[in-house]
Amino acid sequence: MSVSLPHPDGAVDAFAIELLGVTKRYGDFVALQGIDLDIAPGEFVVLLGPSGCGKSTLLKIIAGLEDASEGEVYINGQLANYLRPKERDVAMVFQNYALYPHMTVETNIGFPLAMRRHTKAAVAERVREVAALVGLTDHLRKYPDQLSGGQRQRVALGRAIIREPVAFLMDEPLSNLDALLRVQMRSELLKLHKRVGRTTIYVTHDQIEAMTMADRIVVLRDGVMQQVGTPREVYSRPANTFTAIFVGSPPMNLIPGRLLTADGGQRFQGPISVDLAALGPMAGVGEEITLGVRPENVELSGSGDAATIPGRVELIESVGADTYLSIAVAEGTTVMVRVSADTSVQEGDCLHLRFPPQRLLLFDPAGNRVTLPGEPA
Amino acid sequence: MERVLTHLALILAAVICAAPFFYVIAASLKDQGSLFHYPPVWVQIPPYTGNYERLLFDSGFPRWMLNTLFVASTVTGLKLVLDSMAGYALAKLEFTGKRVIFVLMLTLLMVPFAALLIPLWSIAHNLHITNTYLALILPPLANPLGVFLMRQFILGLPKDLENAARLEGVSEFGIYWRIILPLVKPGLVVLAVIIFTDQFMSFIWPLVATTRDDLLVLTVGVAGLRAKGGVNFGLWSAAAVMSLVPIAVFFFALQRQFLARSMAGALKQ
Repeated sequence: MSVSLPHPDGAVDAFAIELLGVTKRYGDFVALQGIDLDIAPGEFVVLLGPSGCGKSTLLKIIAGLEDASEGEVYINGQLANYLRPKERDVAMVFQNYALYPHMTVETNIGFPLAMRRHTKAAVAERVREVAALVGLTDHLRKYPDQLSGGQRQRVALGRAIIREPVAFLMDEPLSNLDALLRVQMRSELLKLHKRVGRTTIYVTHDQIEAMTMADRIVVLRDGVMQQVGTPREVYSRPANTFTAIFVGSPPMNLIPGRLLTADGGQRFQGPISVDLAALGPMAGVGEEITLGVRPENVELSGSGDAATIPGRVELIESVGADTYLSIAVAEGTTVMVRVSADTSVQEGDCLHLRFPPQRLLLFDPAGNRVTLPGEPA
Repeated sequence: MERVLTHLALILAAVICAAPFFYVIAASLKDQGSLFHYPPVWVQIPPYTGNYERLLFDSGFPRWMLNTLFVASTVTGLKLVLDSMAGYALAKLEFTGKRVIFVLMLTLLMVPFAALLIPLWSIAHNLHITNTYLALILPPLANPLGVFLMRQFILGLPKDLENAARLEGVSEFGIYWRIILPLVKPGLVVLAVIIFTDQFMSFIWPLVATTRDDLLVLTVGVAGLRAKGGVNFGLWSAAAVMSLVPIAVFFFALQRQFLARSMAGALKQ
């Protein structure tokens, strides 16, 4: 029997979806560890992480297709742990679309309403509305195998949005489309989200999708939540070295070293030496520390001075508007620098790099970002 | 030249395949004289229809045919339902003892029917169903081949199809009925052909399980023609031809279904 209990705090509708300490185990293997997450109505949240990090499992737990080993799932303020998938009022777009091949586009889209015993006329009318919304009006009589990848994806979306659920759960819906179509569908999805305005939880391993679509990104690794924040926060203030590397392309430069005191201030001493006096006094002098800097934040300077680091260009990768330079700054240490495509550089050139202190991030030996003096914790 | 040779080879193969059918059909349309005439008569003109008349009006053939069609259709229908449901359960549901049941089924597949004949007869006898239609219908239902085939077909269907339906509140039976069955239609057709032909040609079990004349099936009845009517190649050939008709009709009727809509389009490629 299904049981639906109100939220213990009496909070109803405050969050569309709330997860409290959700853990999932398969035998000894822990797929998800203590996930706490609140998702506001209408929010677009992206679960981002590498393959096998547990993001699809989390989505299935919310949908009710898997049970949580521990923890609580609230949907619309109601405890949903004991609700069957149907009773949770969520719609899911699967990684492989999961269209019924023996049904036409019209029947596929109308299936959720037909299963809820709406009248044929009501289903047909709603299918027409949704088909117009997802641009499939001319394809209603076709079967899935007569459609292109993008059209099939739209059928899956149409089937999800037809009954206006509390939330849409999308499991890597763009992962198998070709690059061009993916970019196109990405913006279509966003437009659709704005029009429909429903809470959406979107699973992807593609950080570009996460950065461009999300209101908030949840970074997962090995079933553990690494960081929750806006794309801007996750990019510019990553919680740890994993997020720093996983989000951003090319990834953040991370250079291990130590924090030392210098004349009147502190400095980073590793394969290279960087003056950190401008950051103010920090605790942990003498400890191991990792210096992080995004490729676009490294400045190139033609002439050297005490504050610059000399390096030799090892590799030049042109990606259209930008060029990525791999610059060897010490034995075994390479720094990736992003410059505009019109920068004139040759492999083997000697350049001087400047690391602007306000753009630097520091990570402790455990890999967690160190809160810098004056920065809100 | 190559085309000509290919065609010649194909024609030869076609002749070899068709020759037995031609011989049987021709023999069924000959009287005793033409059958043993030397030099042989390929086709008797005008054809002799006496064999067919005797078969249809002066033997139990119509009854045997009805019995066979009734038993084969009933077994086929019941087995399609049972096998597909059991196959779905074994492929997609989790329950205690699932592996054990599956292994037992596989084991049963390896046991030759001859080894089961006496125990099976003993069970049927103790259940007092020998010499009834039940004796012909019930035992074949336990053949695990169909369950195994359906399990393999259903196992190949992606789990997300069921999950999508589950999210829409479709019941487990609804998933089986609305989603799984239509998708394994080609498999069902294959299974139907296998079961129907197997039942149509089944000989040993009907021979052992029934002794009443009104329960005879084609195979047993036609074999009995030798005992009762003496040597009559024309009559036997006519019986062979008439026996082929339903199974050929059944096969050709279902052939179109082999080309049923495939899985294409269900998933991203």
